[in-house]
Amino acid sequence: MPRPFSMKKVIITGPHSVFEKVVKELHDMKVLHVVDHSKNELADIGKPFADSQRYSELLVKARALISALGVTGERKRSNGINGIEEAEIRIRNLGNELNGVLHQIKEDDETISKNESMKKELLAFGSINVPLEHLAEYKSLNVFAGNLKDAESIDNIKKKLKNITDKSLFEHESSFFVFFVESKKKEETLKLLNSHGFKPIQLSNFGSLKGTANSNISRMEHESNDCLSRKIELTKRLERMKIDNAEFLLKTESHLSKELEKLEAPLKCASTESCFLVKGWVPENDLFQSIENLEKVSGGKIHVWYDAPKSSDNVPVKLNNINPAKPFEFFLDLYSFPTFKEIDPTFFVFLTFPLFFGMMLGDVGYGLVGMVLFWFLKRKIKSAKNLFNILIVSSFVSILFGFLFGEIFGYEFIEHPVINRAHDILTLMIISVIIGAVHLNFGFILGFINERKSHGLMHAINTKLSWIVLQIGIVLIGLSLSNLINLPWYTGAGFLALSVIMLIKGEGIRGVIELPSILSNILSYVRIMAIGLSSVILALIINESASEFFKGGPLLIIIGVLLLIVGHAVNIMLGFLGSFLHSLRLHYVEYFSKFFHGGAKKYVPFGYLNNGNNGA
Amino acid sequence: MVDMGTGLIAVGAGLAIGISAIAAALAESTIGAAAVGAMAEKEELFGKGLILTVIPETLVIFGLVIAYLILQMAK
Repeated sequence: MPRPFSMKKVIITGPHSVFEKVVKELHDMKVLHVVDHSKNELADIGKPFADSQRYSELLVKARALISALGVTGERKRSNGINGIEEAEIRIRNLGNELNGVLHQIKEDDETISKNESMKKELLAFGSINVPLEHLAEYKSLNVFAGNLKDAESIDNIKKKLKNITDKSLFEHESSFFVFFVESKKKEETLKLLNSHGFKPIQLSNFGSLKGTANSNISRMEHESNDCLSRKIELTKRLERMKIDNAEFLLKTESHLSKELEKLEAPLKCASTESCFLVKGWVPENDLFQSIENLEKVSGGKIHVWYDAPKSSDNVPVKLNNINPAKPFEFFLDLYSFPTFKEIDPTFFVFLTFPLFFGMMLGDVGYGLVGMVLFWFLKRKIKSAKNLFNILIVSSFVSILFGFLFGEIFGYEFIEHPVINRAHDILTLMIISVIIGAVHLNFGFILGFINERKSHGLMHAINTKLSWIVLQIGIVLIGLSLSNLINLPWYTGAGFLALSVIMLIKGEGIRGVIELPSILSNILSYVRIMAIGLSSVILALIINESASEFFKGGPLLIIIGVLLLIVGHAVNIMLGFLGSFLHSLRLHYVEYFSKFFHGGAKKYVPFGYLNNGNNGA
Repeated sequence: MVDMGTGLIAVGAGLAIGISAIAAALAESTIGAAAVGAMAEKEELFGKGLILTVIPETLVIFGLVIAYLILQMAK
């Protein structure tokens, strides 16, 4: 039976003098799943090694540069950089340069927006050629500048002004005006202006400007253009900086985080004044080689204690599967990892998942589209490699079932296929139920093995075999009542009663309440037929409506082709989604509930940086 | 044209699957919302969330089986 790798609990102790060497060796070996030490009265957690501050500061800076420059790409595993000092200098210079560039860009942006708003106000001056510096405050003169409600009132004002004073100067362009008047008459003029809807502009805004409005506008336009072209130049420079430094930054980031993991390792370990202690788990296969390596680097100054896990231990789990089944570990990653005592169901999921998926999709055309599509996506999205491998295998099985059902894009290309999905509904329903019964009973057998190991034989018989006895009872009653076998009906009833007694002994009254679930669980497998049926009916509808169009003229034929493409694309999407989720559900809900407990931690050895290459 | 009886059988089959689908949808909507909420807090709950969400789906399968049995009456 496939089970996870067997693990050993390991405790490594030694003097501080060899601590760093041990950590480095552990990091290189990548075998120890470290269990964090929590502070207690016997030992505190360790202090990070020297330089960790320096590394972590540099790492923060490198990451800041990566995000500021928008560097993307795979974090390359590097075998080191040209020394930390060189990296420090380069990162500092890069940081300064970037700050300068960003500062300049910000300043230019500000200038441009300031000029823009000033220009709007100055445009109102139009052809009024009053130098702006003249719009200042005087002892004997008062300046008004602004808009009137309408241009017609200007003449009106001019007329009335003559009654107030003859010492004034009035310049205007449509409703905008600039108006100088002697200070003594300020109040009266303001009243007059206000009665014509006067809206003043802030003259203090122009305090520093010299020359006429028009000359200022052209000067500002010139300045803005300069800023804009400089900004384009700077953006190009940023792009160059990004291209030139991307590899260096990614490499440095990867190197630093690797180094930092080593330097900060003491934080996970227990430490006294003179010794350290590391707790963790090592796969049994690697144990002796690792101990040998550690003793070699420490010159025999350390002591390694190991033991088999106790049932109360929370053992990290490393799955042990043959290569073709490995991508299917993804499903356990999504759900839960089996504990170290349990059977690892990955291999069985590998056998049945593509089968269910294939039966549901079951079309040569759709399967081919799936294989090509997922192969392409697998190359594009490396992080979801496992998922796409699963889908490629499943699509391949769909092609095989496509030949069995004689379907290619819904067309029946074999006249008398083994099973016609659109017509042999009852046959497929019965096949689905049989598959369900077999699958579930296999689950019960796995459950029996698991229970026997964890709770003993009697418990295993009572909780798992009882369900199989129950099914035998139901089948016997059914067969004898329909006179298919020559047995009195109470033989089956006897089996039924026996199974109920076993269940009560094994699981108590809860087991009896659960009795009908066996029926609903088996019936749930009818979905294999149902999803397939809906997919094939939809394909038939698409094909039939398209063929109606093909009878018409060229335009209708084009519409028909479009209908075929869009319709099948939608149906393929629905088919993949439905087949995937329902196949997964049959495993998670119906199958796993028969034997699987899970809840273990994943084995992540020290030194194994998570590169995002396990699962989506 | 089909006769009245066959028509009623078809309506019955439609109701069997339609109402069970509505029931499953109502049940799943509540569970699904809660499951997504839980997943937002803790991503590892995806598997459990999926299972809890799709449990009522069996209702539709029952509806489908009954609909099929009803349709057999028309033959």
